[in-house]
Amino acid sequence: MKEETVQKPKLKLAVYWGAACGGCCVSVLDVHEKLLDVIAAADLVFWPIALDTKYKDVEAMPDKYIDVTLYNGAVRNSENEHIAKLLRKKSKVLVAYGSCAHLGGIPGLANFTTKEAIFKRVYETSESTVNPDKILPQTHFEVDEGILELPEFYNDVRSLNQVVDVDYYLPGCPPQSERLLEVFMLIATGATLPPPGSVVGASEKTQCDECKRVKTENKKVKRFYRPIDIKDDGVTCFLEQGVICMGPATRAGCGVRCIEGNAPCRGCYGPAEAVIDPGAKMLSAIATMIDSNDEKEIEKAVETIDDPAGTFYRFSLPASILRRALV
Amino acid sequence: MEEPRIGVYICWCGTNIAKMVDVEQVTEQVSKLPHVVVSKNYKYMCSDPGQELIACDIQEHKLNRIVVAACSPRIHELTFRRALEKAGLNAYLFEMANIREQDSWVHDNREEATRKAIELVAASISRVKYHEPLDKRSVTINPATLVIGGGVAGMSAALEVANAGREVYLVEKSDRLGGLVNHLDLTYPYLYDAGSMLETLLRRTLNHPHIKVFCDTTVEKVDGFIGNFTTTILTENQQPVTLTFGNIIVSTGLKPFDASRVGEYGYGRLPDVLTSVEFEDMLRSGQILTRSGKPPQNIAIIHCVGSRNTEFHEYCSRTCCQVALKFANQIRTLLPDSNIFDLYADMRAFGKGCEELYTETSRKNITFMMFDQQKEMPQIIRSIDPADPHMLIFFREKISGLGLEVPADLIILMVGMEAHEDVKDVAHAVGISVCGNQFFIEKHPKLDPVATTTAGVYIVGNCQGPKGIPDAISQAKAAAARVLATINQGSVFVEVTTAQVNEAICCGCQTCILVCPYSAIHFDQNKRVSVVNEVLCKGCGTCGSTCPTGAIRSKHFTDQQILSQIAGLMEMTLKIN
Repeated sequence: MKEETVQKPKLKLAVYWGAACGGCCVSVLDVHEKLLDVIAAADLVFWPIALDTKYKDVEAMPDKYIDVTLYNGAVRNSENEHIAKLLRKKSKVLVAYGSCAHLGGIPGLANFTTKEAIFKRVYETSESTVNPDKILPQTHFEVDEGILELPEFYNDVRSLNQVVDVDYYLPGCPPQSERLLEVFMLIATGATLPPPGSVVGASEKTQCDECKRVKTENKKVKRFYRPIDIKDDGVTCFLEQGVICMGPATRAGCGVRCIEGNAPCRGCYGPAEAVIDPGAKMLSAIATMIDSNDEKEIEKAVETIDDPAGTFYRFSLPASILRRALV
Repeated sequence: MEEPRIGVYICWCGTNIAKMVDVEQVTEQVSKLPHVVVSKNYKYMCSDPGQELIACDIQEHKLNRIVVAACSPRIHELTFRRALEKAGLNAYLFEMANIREQDSWVHDNREEATRKAIELVAASISRVKYHEPLDKRSVTINPATLVIGGGVAGMSAALEVANAGREVYLVEKSDRLGGLVNHLDLTYPYLYDAGSMLETLLRRTLNHPHIKVFCDTTVEKVDGFIGNFTTTILTENQQPVTLTFGNIIVSTGLKPFDASRVGEYGYGRLPDVLTSVEFEDMLRSGQILTRSGKPPQNIAIIHCVGSRNTEFHEYCSRTCCQVALKFANQIRTLLPDSNIFDLYADMRAFGKGCEELYTETSRKNITFMMFDQQKEMPQIIRSIDPADPHMLIFFREKISGLGLEVPADLIILMVGMEAHEDVKDVAHAVGISVCGNQFFIEKHPKLDPVATTTAGVYIVGNCQGPKGIPDAISQAKAAAARVLATINQGSVFVEVTTAQVNEAICCGCQTCILVCPYSAIHFDQNKRVSVVNEVLCKGCGTCGSTCPTGAIRSKHFTDQQILSQIAGLMEMTLKIN
């Protein structure tokens, strides 16, 4: 209270990547010259992709020292988990930034297999690997100079809220930079924030609500197509053309960018407000679209869906009811 | 949400549950679950003292959620809901765990059955926390009734309703009332004249001041819902007439099986092979003659034509055996010196007076022989000898195993009954379902046999399944009683566990419209959202599960309720294993 009456101090901002591709960090840079506005309002105290701050510097910070942390990436190893817990402790507001932190994201598809199978593929059988001794990553390895340490690779990929409490979710793969700016400016200007646990920088409605394609009751298809298999007319709802579009089960907010670019929605903005498991929801909806009552014909139609698990749970497997495949 | 205070009651169902499930242990285990305030067991929860127990606990312990673990909710869910209401609690703050049909009756290991009961009750406890009070809704009843189909069932239903002073519109597809009974000569088992019975019914129907008959008319589409239906029909002179009514009785009957489908019998090729319907017409003419105009010396009757054979219809048509016995009697009277052969697959002379008819017939020098309907059908061939008898039936007599030849001048095929070609159109018009045999499906085969799952629509007579005249008329009168009861009440309660569209979320994809079996959803072109007509909605939940946006919420079956039920089950399973 006292501080506020004197002068509003600059916000302390942190950005971290867990199991991520780096796209989320780039999306922060994608605010372009607006980054200057961000810098004017905030000090970046920790951002591994851009700043040389060490973990021990973060550990040295007092609790709740950071105002806002944008954590992107899923939690796939002990390092991701350790930093997630550390940043939770050091931050007033922790934001799960992007699909991976929000739902597990693309790395979360690894939950369809196991740590053992992944190691076998990566360190033994992949075409470019030469590893006759079948050496696998160790968490500890003793050398003359002492003990070398590597993070432990977990069997399960988790979303951020499966590890620590999360205040807000900013979805997207990556989130739209405009949305990030809006949210950041809200925080910087001291506007009233939505209740903790809210999804911010997105709509409550679904992609279809913003999509301009023509939708009718006629959702009956004999088979499904990949986008490359058909000549999209650019006007008709993808689903009505037999192309699986995750739009109906996916939260709006991205500006229907994929659909505007004539590609079906892949679902990166995650489930709409009222949807618990977007993959299951889309599966039910798709099931009703098959135009046949003949079991064999239906089976054939279903077989035309290329990679159903990866299609319906592309971004959401760890956070879904399924969580992982039992293998 | 108010803090849940849950009362859990485990029923013994006498020994039905208690014998296989350790009810004490279930009571004890679930009492430890969060929010459970009271956990008890009792010999018969559905009895008055059982219900009283719940009511007292609601008052004493301020319970706001109730779980009863007993039989199937189909049997007693309503009983307990009423008990809650009496105690001042909303009926929907209740959940039933089925530990009888789904547990004690189907297991033989007491320990495992007890464990399963604990899991099922835990699931219900976990679910009931999220139950919400739902309000009853009612609709007013238009006192007019539409009867579709003017056979004996349709006419009887119409008369019963009209006699109570209520308007009836009776719509018949053909050019006259009476249906299949128009063809009958005598009825079984007492050999009364069918014509005079029908004549009485016809006269009463056509002269009734409250019955308006439309012949040569079909009902293409019915709009609305119980109490408030409407349809537009085209009368025989092509005049459109709009009718409004509160209830519908469907009595569209069945048609005779097409005997030419059974290749072995040569129907259509052999002139003296007749169907039972054609033979009735012959009997009404008063003379039994072959096509060449002579009285036959050898007459054969073959049962189960198109019935009880998986190639045609698996079901029994229920009337043909008795009609065959009736024929044998009539033939014996008209042609005392003829040889009568009755080839049956299984004699099913059930029903009041029918076994007696069989006994009596068997004393009239009639040769009864059995064949195997499924494995070895009889074959009818033209005799090489041009003189009479000009046909032979080859078949294997089932009991002796002997291959026999039966001479015949006239053969009667006892054809079964099957659905009309347009049965699905009728079903669609009034919003009811057909079973695999193309008969309309009743709401419950025992507890609600003439109602359908669509409120205000009843099915009577053969369209519900093959039956004789007494059964058809009984159903007609039962449906009339149901209709009159709703008219008398003036209004009825309608389903409250319906689907609801959250218009703020609905994206207008219209998937729900495609799947709704009750045509209860339409698309609002202005708002670009789906709208559920909650009176038509039966709460089946299909739209809710198919809705990709989560905009449709099935009341009393929300995702949260169902998922917490599953979670409750799984958590308990993990805990006790």
